[in-house]
This record gives sequence, structure tokens and C-alpha cells, in this order.
Amino acid sequence: MQKQDIIKSFKDSLFTGLIALALFGPIVGLRTASKGEGLFITPQWGVVFLLVGLCILGRFLININSARRTEIKIFSTLSSKFSSITEDKAKHFAITGILFAVVFPFLPFTDRYFMDVAIMILTYIMLGWGLNIVVGLAGLLDLGYVAFYAVGAYSYALIATTFGWSFWICLPLAGLFAAFFGILLGFPVLRLRGDYLAIVTLGFGEIIRIILINWYEVTNGPDGITGIPRPSFFGLPFKRSPDEGEMSFHTFFGLEYSTMHRIIFLYYLILVLALITNYFTLKIRKLPVGRAWEALREDEIACKSLGVNPTNTKLTAFAIGAMFGGFAGSFFATRQAFISPESFTFIESAIIVAIVVLGGMGSQTGVVLASIFLIGITEIFRDLEQYRMIAFGGAMVLIMIFKPKGILANRKPTILMHGDKK
Amino acid sequence: MSNLLSVEKLTMKFGGLVAIDDLSFDAKNNQITSIIGPNGAGKTTVFNCLTGFYKPTTGQMYLHQADNKVSLRKYTDFKIAHVAKVARTFQNIRLFPAMSVLENLLVAQHNELMIASGYSLYGLLNLKSYRDKEKLAVNKAKYWLDIIGLTHRADDNAGDLPYGDQRKLEIVRAMCIEPKLLCLDEPAAGLNPKESAELNKLLKFIKTEKKTGILLIEHDMSVVMGISDHVVVLNYGKKIFEGTAEQTKKSKEVIEAYLGVDE
Repeated sequence: MQKQDIIKSFKDSLFTGLIALALFGPIVGLRTASKGEGLFITPQWGVVFLLVGLCILGRFLININSARRTEIKIFSTLSSKFSSITEDKAKHFAITGILFAVVFPFLPFTDRYFMDVAIMILTYIMLGWGLNIVVGLAGLLDLGYVAFYAVGAYSYALIATTFGWSFWICLPLAGLFAAFFGILLGFPVLRLRGDYLAIVTLGFGEIIRIILINWYEVTNGPDGITGIPRPSFFGLPFKRSPDEGEMSFHTFFGLEYSTMHRIIFLYYLILVLALITNYFTLKIRKLPVGRAWEALREDEIACKSLGVNPTNTKLTAFAIGAMFGGFAGSFFATRQAFISPESFTFIESAIIVAIVVLGGMGSQTGVVLASIFLIGITEIFRDLEQYRMIAFGGAMVLIMIFKPKGILANRKPTILMHGDKK
Repeated sequence: MSNLLSVEKLTMKFGGLVAIDDLSFDAKNNQITSIIGPNGAGKTTVFNCLTGFYKPTTGQMYLHQADNKVSLRKYTDFKIAHVAKVARTFQNIRLFPAMSVLENLLVAQHNELMIASGYSLYGLLNLKSYRDKEKLAVNKAKYWLDIIGLTHRADDNAGDLPYGDQRKLEIVRAMCIEPKLLCLDEPAAGLNPKESAELNKLLKFIKTEKKTGILLIEHDMSVVMGISDHVVVLNYGKKIFEGTAEQTKKSKEVIEAYLGVDE
């Protein structure tokens, strides 16, 4: 390495330190404490200098590393090994993953907490797969995906609490409602692309949330909807003491009552829903409509010149993506038994988009890995309370540095003329 | 020979700018009609009007079919390709770069495949009728790839092909919609002499074997003079000359438009 490089990176790191000082100085350095009568400022310069020092050091290391034009060896070998494993053996990988997911509830170390985290991760995987149709395949950046999640959850909750219909009737209805809202959003944004589309969809997400808060007569506003019926196991409820003349799950199978039964059932429910989403996406990607989505992402003008109807193509993408969001929403509602607009804020949309983008646009396996990584990391650091978002951000930064195109960014053609050569 | 396309008094204004001024010309069946002219003469604008990307200010464009004539003005956007069967390529290649060569050719057969897949329903059920139709579509793609000699790269990304091959692929992709009229916007731009010779061969093949009328915008005179049956010369949106390639070469107006006039 040349001397200039070192000097240059040193200067750059000092500059970074300056910015860090400007940021950390007031935020961390000046701490307000209430003593007796009023607020006093207690400076914490030691912590500030520690943080600034860390920033300078980190930046310096990154600079030196990039000056050598080689990645940190461990990371590059790790990531290349990792992607070669997943790419070559995509099928084995998927089967192993599914098998693991199937036996997961019965593994010895699995307890209630693990199950809850697993259900959450699966919900995000399903949402990621649903959004992948819109963002990954059709290339329509949708920052308001949570709106469809909310529509699904609320339609399920309202139908189920009003009419008392079973989960299996309400679920498709909720999906249909969400798909309808997908088309509703699709129409005004047909002509928009890229940034403009992103802003309108973001606005749409907020509109739905604000309607949910203010339409008190129907949605019960910020108080949310309570007492959403739990799903039953083909008519057998998960109750400790079933009503007279009624069977419940544990009495029917002659088991000891345990709340875990319901959790395990919910786990399999979301697993099946997610796998259906995945199967459907993989199938439809190979159909003309799927290819038209991808063609639309690549070049809309060329599509028109070949007679592909961009309006219908976009609307189907929005509708189908929204439908899966709606299914996930129904599941969320039935699992929580309580929903309120607070569950459907912009941060949820952002997390789902992050999962799709970081996973590698259009990659189904990538969504799984990104969900496990991002949601898992925030769970591991749950004890740190609000600081766990730092871990979330850190995870994103790490992926973007080492895998700028997403964890798995390979696209396989939907149809092969010469068969699989490798 | 019968007319395939007749353009009548076509005018296109962008605000105060008259891009095409009262242009009339015909293109005949089984012929290559070239539109040439200096930069900014309005050639691509003519194409954009014909293929529905612009709506002309005034004037008519008719496509003659077996016994009736279809006004292209009625169709906009994707319907020009879908219903009127006018295909086009672009000055700056517009392939789907991240999709494979074969997929590019299948997207061109989207509408037929969409019907065959029962708007995805039969496709999801994996019915035989759809699989057969898909096989036919792949065979059609293979037929065209054989002609341009790219069959061995069918599964590679279109964006990874060399420039000359991308040009050819874009042309056969347009041919996959089975057009009546094929509009090519500078297909020889950026090609080396060997590649433009291959292009000439391909265009002649399309003309004679596929009985497709070709409308061609081109700057490369070796291509224009080599294959055109009819040449229309534009300057500042007006037609200044129309005739065979030989006549065009000798035309005083054309030489003046390209090289300027002695004071």
C-alpha cells in the first residue's frame, strides 16, 4: 500500500470523527438529569470520546481495506462459500429448510419463546414473499405494503366478529378484500415509476392507517378490535374447558391440555400459508404473466412495442401481491386476537421492503435468509430494548457492504432451451 | 404490388415545433421502404406516430389488410402491436437485459401464451394444452434463433450478448409477434461491416420468406442502398424526395440536404 493512501484514509477518518463528534456530542455527551427542583446537564465526555474514537478507527479500517481493493478475507470467503452452497444446492437447501421447519416445534430446545419468534419470522417471510411479487418480479417499489396487511387483518377481524364465520371462510374473503385494495391502489399509480411510485404507495399506506384510526364506527379507531375468534382445528377449538356437548382439541385427541397446542397449530398454519405463497410465486413466475412482470421491470416501452398490456400486467401484480399480504394479515389478526392501527405503521412496510431488498430482489430463498437474519437479530438483542434497532440497522449495513445486490442475487431463467447444463 | 401502409398528410407538432409537416408516402407489401434524412429530420417521430407512441396532430395512417384498411390512429400503445400487428425496434436497443434470450422471445408471444394459459389458470393447473402451446412458442423462438445463429446462447442473459447480436435479437423478437409491418429504427447503428452484411441478409430473408413489409430508418448508406426497394427522404419534417435507391443517389435535392448548397 502506498503512503498517500494511508494519509488519505487517515484524513478521511478524522473527518468522520468530526461528524461523529458533532452528532454524539449533543446527543450522548449532554445528558439531562433531574435533581431535586430542576433539570441539570451532566456531561459525559468520556463516552463521547470513546464513540468518536470507535468511529475513527472503524472508518480508518474500512478505508485501508478498500484501498487494498480487497475485501476482508474472512467475510468474502464466507459469503462466497455461503452463496455457492445455496446456489448449487438450492433444492437441497430448500428441502432441508422445510424439513427443519416441519420438525422445529418438536425439537427438545423449542419452547414457547422460540415458537413465538418462529411464528413472527414466518409471518415476515410470507409478507416478504408476497411483496417479492410486486417489488422483485414486477419491479414496482411499494413502500405501503403494510396497508394490505392491515386490510387483510381488519377484514378478517370485522367479518369474524360480526358474522362469526370460521377462519377458513374469512381467510379467502380477507385475501379478496386486500386484492381489491391492491387494484384500487394500482389504478392511480399506473403511470408512475421508481421514486414517484414509492412516494405514492407510502402515502397509500398512511391513508389506510389514518382511516383505521378515524373511522371509529367501523374500526373502533385507536382502541382496535378485540375478541377476534381464534382459529379452530377443523372445528375443534383450543379451549381448556369446552362447552357442554362440545369437543375441544385436547379432549378429542385425549391429550393433556396445553397452550402449546394452539401455538403449534398457529405455527403450522403460517408455515403452510407461507409455503403456498412460495409455491404460487415459483409457479406463476414461469407462466406468461410472470414473464410479463419481469419484462415490465426490465423495460416498459419494449413491452408495449411487443403488445404486452402494461395496465393489466401491473394490476395483476398489485392484486396478487396484496392478496398474500391480506392472508398474512388474517393470520396476524387471528393469532393476536386483538388488532389496532398501531400494528400497521410505516416501519412495518420498511422492514418488509428491507427483507426483500436485502434478500436479493426476486430471490425466494433470499427472503427467508433476510427474515431470519433481520428479525432474528432484533430478537437476540431484545434485552437492549430500543437499542436493538441499532442491531437491525447494523445488520442492514453489513449486508449492503458485503452483498450489495442482496444476500442471494442470482436470477435463474424461467425456462431453459438446453436444459440444466451444470 | 399492393400497398401495405399509406401515410396521408401526417403532421406532428410539439408546441410550436413542426416535427413532421404534411408527410404522405406509401410502403408496399414485400418491400423494404427506407426513410432517410439528416439528424433531426423527423424520422423517428414518424415511427413513433406509426407505432402508437405519439398521437399525430393531423393526418391518417392506414394499414391495408386483405380486403379492408385499418386506421392506425385508432390504436394506441400496446394495441398497435397486439391488434394491428405493427412491430418495431428501437434506436437504442431495448431488450430485457436481465432475462434470457429465450425469455425475450417468449415475452413477444405473450398474448397468445396468455390465452393458452387460460389467463394463468390452466398454467397453474399445468394442463397439457398449455404445455403444448408453450412448446410451440419455444419452437418458434428456436426457429428464429437458428436463423440468427444464437441458439447456443438461448439460456444466457440477453444483456450479456455482444452488441451486434443484441441488434439481431431485437429484430427477431419483433418478428415473433408475426407482424404485418416491421419498423426498424437504425438497426445498423454501431455494427461493423461484417455485422451489417449479416443484417442485410436477415432483412432480405424477412422480406422474401416471411412476406413482411419493412420500414427502415437508417444512416448507414451501405445498408440503405443495398437492400431498399423504395427510399423516402425527409428534411425538416418534409418529404423532399421519393424513389428507388439508384434515383436517390443521383437526386440533387438529397445531396443538397446532406451536404448543403453552394452559395
